[in-house]
Amino acid sequence: MDKLFPTQEVGSLAKPAWRVKACRGERLSRKDISEAVEWGRKIGIESVDEVAHLLNEEDSAKKRKTVLEWSAKYGIRFFESAGLDVFFDGEQWRSEMYEHVIRNVAGFEFLGHVKSFDYRYFNKAACVDRPKYVRPFYVDEFVFTKQNARRNIKVPFTGPYTLVDWTFNEFYEKKLSGKIKALKRRKLEAKREFLFDLVNDVVRPEIAKLVASGAEWIQIDEPAATTNPADEEMELFVEAFNSTVKGFNCKFSLHNCYSNYDVLAEHVCELRNLSQMTLEFANRDTTQAGVGNVRTGYKDIELFENSGFRGDYGLGVVDVHTDFVEPPELVRDRILHVAKVIGDSRRILASTDCGLRTRTWETAFRKLRSMVRGAEMARNALR
Amino acid sequence: MIGCYPTGIFPRSPGLVKITRKYARGAATEIELQRAFDIATREVVDAQLSAGPSYVTDGMLKWQDLLRPFTENLSGLKAGSLARWFNNNTFYRKPIVVGDLLREHSLIENVACTEHLPNDVPWKAILPAPFTFATLSDNRFYKSETELMFKYAQVLNDEIKSLAKLGFKYVQLSDPAIVYEPTVASTPKKQLKDVGEALGIATRGTSVKTCLQTFFGDFSQILPEALEFPVNDLGIDVYETGVAELKEYSFDKGLALGLVDSRNSLVEDKAELMEIAREVLKSISSSRTRDVFICPNCDLEFLPWQRAEEKMRLVGDVAGSLKEESYG
Repeated sequence: MDKLFPTQEVGSLAKPAWRVKACRGERLSRKDISEAVEWGRKIGIESVDEVAHLLNEEDSAKKRKTVLEWSAKYGIRFFESAGLDVFFDGEQWRSEMYEHVIRNVAGFEFLGHVKSFDYRYFNKAACVDRPKYVRPFYVDEFVFTKQNARRNIKVPFTGPYTLVDWTFNEFYEKKLSGKIKALKRRKLEAKREFLFDLVNDVVRPEIAKLVASGAEWIQIDEPAATTNPADEEMELFVEAFNSTVKGFNCKFSLHNCYSNYDVLAEHVCELRNLSQMTLEFANRDTTQAGVGNVRTGYKDIELFENSGFRGDYGLGVVDVHTDFVEPPELVRDRILHVAKVIGDSRRILASTDCGLRTRTWETAFRKLRSMVRGAEMARNALR
Repeated sequence: MIGCYPTGIFPRSPGLVKITRKYARGAATEIELQRAFDIATREVVDAQLSAGPSYVTDGMLKWQDLLRPFTENLSGLKAGSLARWFNNNTFYRKPIVVGDLLREHSLIENVACTEHLPNDVPWKAILPAPFTFATLSDNRFYKSETELMFKYAQVLNDEIKSLAKLGFKYVQLSDPAIVYEPTVASTPKKQLKDVGEALGIATRGTSVKTCLQTFFGDFSQILPEALEFPVNDLGIDVYETGVAELKEYSFDKGLALGLVDSRNSLVEDKAELMEIAREVLKSISSSRTRDVFICPNCDLEFLPWQRAEEKMRLVGDVAGSLKEESYG
């Protein structure tokens, strides 16, 4: 992209009630439908009446599929209306970043909910057989988004290390139980086998299909990358990333957030074919305007610079875990601060910290508009 | 004596998960929530009783994380942002120390469910150990982490005494930070002396038996100093600790052997667990080890409820068979 500080989002967007209920086969309330109509008008959906008509129909497989497509179209227009340069469809076709993939790959069994924190849980699966690719899980969504988007798109792709780290490894630990006696080493070797079977048998075939379908930019999401900061685990992560992207004629970025950047920075230069690190920073920062010492949340950028990383930064300038709408001036200052630290404005894309799925559409839209305005102000400041 | 017990927070049953989610959305009442906690606590207690435990806990289902009752009820602390719970995909609220720690009332009373505990099996409570508490807190008040650790140990002492009055006979102090590799790497070995002193303050004058339970790291890293810690038993995570490393040392404390893996749903082969247990017991056979407790290596809450139940049964099964083999 030619312009300085292009803007991008990171993946998910909340699923509107009309999408959730319709896909569950539930009856929609008048409020749900009017929400679809109002947002449709606001973001320039071409045939809002058609959507309203569809939502009033009786439940059917055809209706559910069409609703899913409309929700993706809404996601696309939402980001376009906010003024973003790079986006996807808000991951409207996916139930959730982990579950969506696992449900579409053979060899896994969901065991139930485990606690994430407080009263939040996630549905955790066990790997009970060698993972097997049975059908594409991102390709149709990508093709639809490509056909409907008017600007640049990237495909968020849940990374193999995270998929493995978030799954109980029954199959491989059992397989190695008679072969490796030391339990710690057995666990690590079992993880390694699981990871590389998943990379080779599932992840790479899907990437190949995406690239063949015209994908030019894939964002590998690896929130679990530094969960286990031990050297042998980080080596696994690096090796898995490199094996994932190897040989594809495609741009790859890596998204990581709420993580240990000391550890990640140590290994970033070992990651091959990596054009951008998309990182959360706003969550760590003060909300006071200005550049310099006040930008405490961005001090870790130096870790990556000192490690020799010279790719682009998808710089998190908008916090996705609060309803506070960052004023454009704050966004501008965050961008200008990092531009000064790294000494190269062309390496910065203004970004959200992570996906926006925990925010309402109203809040998400205001945050994105503000980010777009802030990036523009930063451009003007350097002009 | 060979016995068994659980080592931490249990997972919430599917029914309780459903209600807590509804409650968080504002779609369930306090009464419905409390009723669901009561039912689930009884299930957890029953699951333990079927394993024939030496001590029983209430399952700690109301604990949002190991530190939370302290974070929310101890004067001088406030709840901070979410932070990763060691190398797990689970999070806790970081306690922020903003003032002098002051225990104005019982800290865990409003989350303890003693009314569901049986009268014929002694009760066990689980609390954060001084080192782990100090390491995981954001200290903005005391001059050093060590000062915080000692201050917390005094608070802990009061809490343990009050638990003893309530009827608890055994207190486990959970200390993952003391063996977790990234923490250990930055902790000078000489600091273990301070840890021992803090444990001394925490357990001084108490009538209960105590255990320092380590997990998520290799126990042998804190040897031989740990053998001098003023606790009755020491807990070891066998998935992180090389058994061979234990052979060099003479144990005169009890051992809580974290033999069942709480971080993988695969239900272990009993014969293999028996073999590992025999190996550990043999390696320290020259020691004057007293009690041996077979237990999960850490909190069972990393598993879905059904698997936790199965694993608790396995804990009891292994302990029973070992007892039969006359180690007890």
